[in-house]
Amino acid sequence: MGTAALASLAALALVLAAVPARAESCTKLKAGTRYPVCFDPGNRLSITAGSDGFGGALSLRQVIHFEDDPDLQWKLEHQIGEVVSAGGAIGVTGVLYRGRFLRHTRDGHLVLPFGTPKKIFLPFDIGGLIEAGRLHRRGTGTFDLGIVKTAALIDLWRSRDFKKRLAVGPIARWEVSVTSQPAIVLGHHVVAPFSAGVANLHAESKNGLTVADVTVEAGTAWTTDGGWRPDARAEASLERIVLAVNDRPIAVMVGARYATATEEAIASIGARVVLFQGADPRVSAR
Amino acid sequence: MRAPCVAFAAIAIGLPAVALADLPMMERDRPVECAKDTEGRTWRIQCDHVTKQCLYAASDELGVDGDRGKPLERAKDCSFDPFDRAALAAAGYKFVPGRADAPHGYTRDDRGRVFQINFDLRKRIYFGAAYTPKKILENPLESTRTSLDFGLLVLNIKNDRTMHRLRFVEGGVHLEPFSSELVLAQYDLSHRFLDPLLRITTFVGEPQRHDLTLNIGMWTEVGGLELHRTSRGNAQLWKHATAMVTLDLWQSADLGSFLRFRTGLGLEGQRDEVTGYHSALVAQSALELDVTLDDDGFHNLRFELDHELPRYFVEMGATGKLAQRMKAKLQYEAIVLAINDQPLSLKLAMGGEKRDDIPGLPDQWAFVMDAGLRFSLWAPPRSHL
Repeated sequence: MGTAALASLAALALVLAAVPARAESCTKLKAGTRYPVCFDPGNRLSITAGSDGFGGALSLRQVIHFEDDPDLQWKLEHQIGEVVSAGGAIGVTGVLYRGRFLRHTRDGHLVLPFGTPKKIFLPFDIGGLIEAGRLHRRGTGTFDLGIVKTAALIDLWRSRDFKKRLAVGPIARWEVSVTSQPAIVLGHHVVAPFSAGVANLHAESKNGLTVADVTVEAGTAWTTDGGWRPDARAEASLERIVLAVNDRPIAVMVGARYATATEEAIASIGARVVLFQGADPRVSAR
Repeated sequence: MRAPCVAFAAIAIGLPAVALADLPMMERDRPVECAKDTEGRTWRIQCDHVTKQCLYAASDELGVDGDRGKPLERAKDCSFDPFDRAALAAAGYKFVPGRADAPHGYTRDDRGRVFQINFDLRKRIYFGAAYTPKKILENPLESTRTSLDFGLLVLNIKNDRTMHRLRFVEGGVHLEPFSSELVLAQYDLSHRFLDPLLRITTFVGEPQRHDLTLNIGMWTEVGGLELHRTSRGNAQLWKHATAMVTLDLWQSADLGSFLRFRTGLGLEGQRDEVTGYHSALVAQSALELDVTLDDDGFHNLRFELDHELPRYFVEMGATGKLAQRMKAKLQYEAIVLAINDQPLSLKLAMGGEKRDDIPGLPDQWAFVMDAGLRFSLWAPPRSHL
């Protein structure tokens, strides 16, 4: 895990160093026609092809503003139907739904409602992570099913947009092994009742061409077959858009992940093709 | 204390200093005027022409040292009509320091900072962890255990006289011994009928009319799952779909709280390591109380008494074709603090269960107590009546 995490952090440092310090123009002009050079990596339907298989995902981002409090907004990120399949008997991983909701406000605070309510200020945003329906096929007829995963998050970076995030918090997780042959039978369960922590570092360049993300989960989990045991997993990814065809970006991706439960470290490299995307609001073809 | 004193000096009213903790608050529903002082700073003023009292407050949040900071959050727009303080004072108006207005469900501290003090726990995403000691009557030394619970979306939507209640991916997991329950989706509705189902007029003495109103609704659930680990292996109970008719015995004015009876049928399948897979048609009934005890939504009480009779299509071992499940659960949830207006609540629960449908589970009452914390996202202020 250490090597993977260090490599991921080094990659992230390179990305951050590459982030331009000032806002760039988001369109360029050729032959009288403008074309975009900024992209929104959070609103897209994409397919991927890489060393770990073929896949796809729908990503959506949404910001909720409040007219009477301009300093407050909810940043909602949804990922729906994310799947990667290597074909054959192994290597299918999918997530039905993953949502990350962060409440950004200029002044964080804690309210104590006893007697006259008191307000104590806190230097972070808060939010939550929700994941339901993660499936990983381990072999013919055997799966790991993540029924639910949820975390309370505090975001120390407190960015107003989606481009930067340093979120940490306790995490709860419930997973079960499933055998599908000859019939669907649930096997041993793994439950972490907020007995683990998660840290997530995310950064995007201002033009959306580069995206990096590192997530580390570590703590203890309880299993029906072995009681309490240490449990850790780490995942890092780096994505860089290298070209666009008809204004639809194609990105190169590298990633790595590690889990103590399987003691497997897997690295991957591949490409992402965006089929549909939300236009970056800074891009105007006119 | 310093901040209002600065305010006094600025608009030169010259009233004595007052205690800050209980500064009166401007009313949201009444107009607020804005006026600038001689130093160009803006003040919010609300006058009551009956009591001849005007509240005033800075239009900005104040720092610890009384310096003005950013503009007030969630304050309503104010008009800059000409404001003649001297004329009002001559007419007998008193000027009193106060707190600026805040929306329903919010208040302000003495520095003008706004925060939420009213929460609707029926509109939220929640997750929590609890300590759950368990005691079985004949085995009092049963091991202690921990649990977690979650609800990925709890949403009540009120439409005139109908309350729609939606729950998605709600459940809990208990450790040592392991058991869990999960519901993918649940939907129910309550309706308040204005026209009575029956009008009974009595003619003994003065004629009197007696209305019998039946507030009938519906309750549905799909994708329920219960998992149990017993001495005879693992058991899975898949509650494919359930539909019930509800009768609200009591409804609160906002339809948020209720006492109701419901009854209906469900289709389920059970797989265990002793008898294999069996499908069943389940007749079930429940008495349910869900009530918010205070106006601000801090105290919430829930009670549920369930009776279920699964009738298996094929005999299931020693159980035969008919099994029985009885459950009772009482839960109290109270908000103890809020982090960035997102409430953290204390949950206390106790429940009992008796069932003979799962091989390996003792056919006797087992009791469980929960004490834990829940963290909720969203939880906006409760609606006005």
